[in-house]
Amino acid sequence: MTAVKPAESRSLPSVLGGTDRSDDPVVVAPVGPSDLGSVVSELVRSPGSRLADLFASGSDPVMLRLVWALDQSRQYLITESEIHGTQYPALSDIAPAAFAEECEIYEQFGIRPSGGKPLNRVAMPPQSDIDLPRLGCAPAQPPQDVHAPHVVGGHAFEFPFGPVRQVGVESLYYGLVTSGEELVDLYLFTWHKHRGVEWRAQGQTPQQALFHIERTEGLGAIGNGWAFAAAAEAALAIEPAPGALHSRAIALELERLYNHAAAVAALCQACGLAVGRAAAEIALERLLRLNAAVYGHRYLFGVLRIGGVRRMPDAAALRTGLPAAFAELRRAGEALLSTNSFVDRLEATGTLTEEEALRLGLVGPVARASGVAADVRVDHPFGPYAGLLDDAATQASGDALARLNVMLAEAAESVRLINALLESAGSEQGGEAGVPVPAGARSVSSGCGAGYGTDPAGPGAPAHGSGLGWAESSRGESLAWVELDSAGRISRARLRPAAVRNWRGFDDACRAENVFTDIPIIEASFWLTVAGTAR
Amino acid sequence: MPQWFVRGLRRGVVTTRYPDHADASASVLPSPPAFRPEELTGQIADRLVQVCPSWALSRAGDVLVFDAGACTACGQCRESEPRAVATSGEFGLAATDRSALVKRIPLLREAGQ
Amino acid sequence: MPNASVAGSATTATAETEKAAAEALRRGVSSQFGRSLHIRTLDTGSCAACEQEIRLLAAPHYDLQRLGFFFTPAPRHADLLMVTGPMLRAFGVAARKTYEAMPGPKLVVATGACALGGVYQPDAFSYGSVDQLLPVDVWIPGCPPSPLALLQGLLVAVNRLAERISGLSFVAGSES
Repeated sequence: MTAVKPAESRSLPSVLGGTDRSDDPVVVAPVGPSDLGSVVSELVRSPGSRLADLFASGSDPVMLRLVWALDQSRQYLITESEIHGTQYPALSDIAPAAFAEECEIYEQFGIRPSGGKPLNRVAMPPQSDIDLPRLGCAPAQPPQDVHAPHVVGGHAFEFPFGPVRQVGVESLYYGLVTSGEELVDLYLFTWHKHRGVEWRAQGQTPQQALFHIERTEGLGAIGNGWAFAAAAEAALAIEPAPGALHSRAIALELERLYNHAAAVAALCQACGLAVGRAAAEIALERLLRLNAAVYGHRYLFGVLRIGGVRRMPDAAALRTGLPAAFAELRRAGEALLSTNSFVDRLEATGTLTEEEALRLGLVGPVARASGVAADVRVDHPFGPYAGLLDDAATQASGDALARLNVMLAEAAESVRLINALLESAGSEQGGEAGVPVPAGARSVSSGCGAGYGTDPAGPGAPAHGSGLGWAESSRGESLAWVELDSAGRISRARLRPAAVRNWRGFDDACRAENVFTDIPIIEASFWLTVAGTAR
Repeated sequence: MPQWFVRGLRRGVVTTRYPDHADASASVLPSPPAFRPEELTGQIADRLVQVCPSWALSRAGDVLVFDAGACTACGQCRESEPRAVATSGEFGLAATDRSALVKRIPLLREAGQ
Repeated sequence: MPNASVAGSATTATAETEKAAAEALRRGVSSQFGRSLHIRTLDTGSCAACEQEIRLLAAPHYDLQRLGFFFTPAPRHADLLMVTGPMLRAFGVAARKTYEAMPGPKLVVATGACALGGVYQPDAFSYGSVDQLLPVDVWIPGCPPSPLALLQGLLVAVNRLAERISGLSFVAGSES
């Protein structure tokens, strides 16, 4: 079950609990701008619902869309509001998780929440000699970019750090507010790595765009790529064959495994434990070589295709190589958890409460370590995941140690899932790698190489539409929304990797009674990428 | 702490002996394409230029220009025209001169050209 | 070594002087950097996969230190700048400052397809390749280049391995 085309629009009361609620995994509802505030209040208060994304498209009027994950009813609800003029109700007062998106929308589309609250710079660099294209209209005034004043006995000092940091890590630019050693505040700048991926996708076919979306966050090629492919497939009204979905799921679990191994290595490095780092890196290298043996690429690039997959896994190589590679990781994890000097550095470091995780709309292992049991493999089963995974691994303490424990538990679960998928894939007929793309989207099927079917859909088949896609990447829920024009080319591609949500949790986690030397440990325990948010 | 030493000793050395010895793990990784000039018609060359997502292929008259530096070894050219394009299996492509990465592959001279 | 594609390269006379200097530096590279080389990395907009492969150079499977290569966070201490990403324009100032903070003699290695001009075309967001802003000495292709490919590139950069790309034709069935 992949993302299907959005259901017919319904009036909101029935969507929120009426008896004629649809069973579709995605429901779209138009909401007038004047009703938006009250609708958001209602949704924020309903249990099992969270704001998953907020984005805009078009100009004059701008269409504002909110994506709500109704985890309890296994649905996504997209509200669509046409904004005429430059203002819309202030949503982040009701849903703090929306703040960063409000800033982004202001920069890209020129519309802002009412109330005059200062908005931060997100993607546009402050240098006046660089003029970057936007997705919509420029704002009337640039963002004020004011951060909350800090008072710590009157001696707080603020300084920027980066973007060039320690060796072998991505560029990251943040503002540190400190009274000396104690961390008072930390806020990120992301404009230095903003590559305009959403802007560049406009006018491309989904297949062309997929090459760049895989390379938006290379460590999340499958997680983000699957969400995007699912969104494009929903817009095209096509569904990949079960064999292709199995292949995608195995690749996704392999991606989760190597990322978690890399996070363990980073944690050891942050704590100065060289032997632990070496052990975790041996596991990581074996997992990357396993990826190359099974799918032909260490980072699983080139596995996905719109409509299916380009590669089926080498099951023999997987069965031979996975147990030993995972055993390295498991042994390293066990040894680390019994090394007190290491555990002491992680315990009570970078603590995020469950309330904070919910308020900020965090996803993935970071949220699960704070007791928020959201995992789209369970809550919004996609591909072959329905019934495969009953519960997400969670912890309660919300510190770096809890995040490590969640990742180690997930790694073990991923191995179980891969084995289960290999078993059930054997019973799927063929290993069919893809489905034909409708003829109306002719520009999609041309130039994509071998493997596309030659039977076009009938004359009445839709050639354009919009769709929502999602996947549980190693960092958490990755969302994508794609709108195609009548030639099958992208008119709007919205990407929301997990990092977009979770970096805001990093700020909060650093603030809670931590010192400078804790920052690398907290960063490693989050294991996000800058590329995933500055895209 | 002793557990780390014991594990390490038991596992042994995993370090590659490259460059003193070739490392077999390189040969299974993706590599740039190798072209068959005898199959490269102008039409095929134009299709290849269209297919490449990384701007590694362009056409200059009766020559296909291949930039191995821009190539990501994604394999889409080979999948699109398997008769004209194979895998090179080449490893170790570092260049001290950028132009050394740009190769000119002669196209097939078709009858009547 | 000065590279002719740096924006603003001038007359033939200057180019010839640069070429002579490049030859002299190349002869001196082995003696300068052949036994101990300190590497600073620079991300100008990568997808993070190149960084992961670079980090693995210090991992047990590759262990760059056995070859006399070391990572250093301090540009002042660095001999070689390993640059990933397509050189985003918003990053240009930071990139030049990092390069200029390194004392000579120094080498620049453009690492990965993005840095070499693939994946991203020059546009409003990026220069498209590192050599549009910094003088590059060695180019390492790959998406991402594996740790072995990175080691080959570093060894070529310090003249301990001969480059072999100029002898490859990428024509199927030919001797290379």
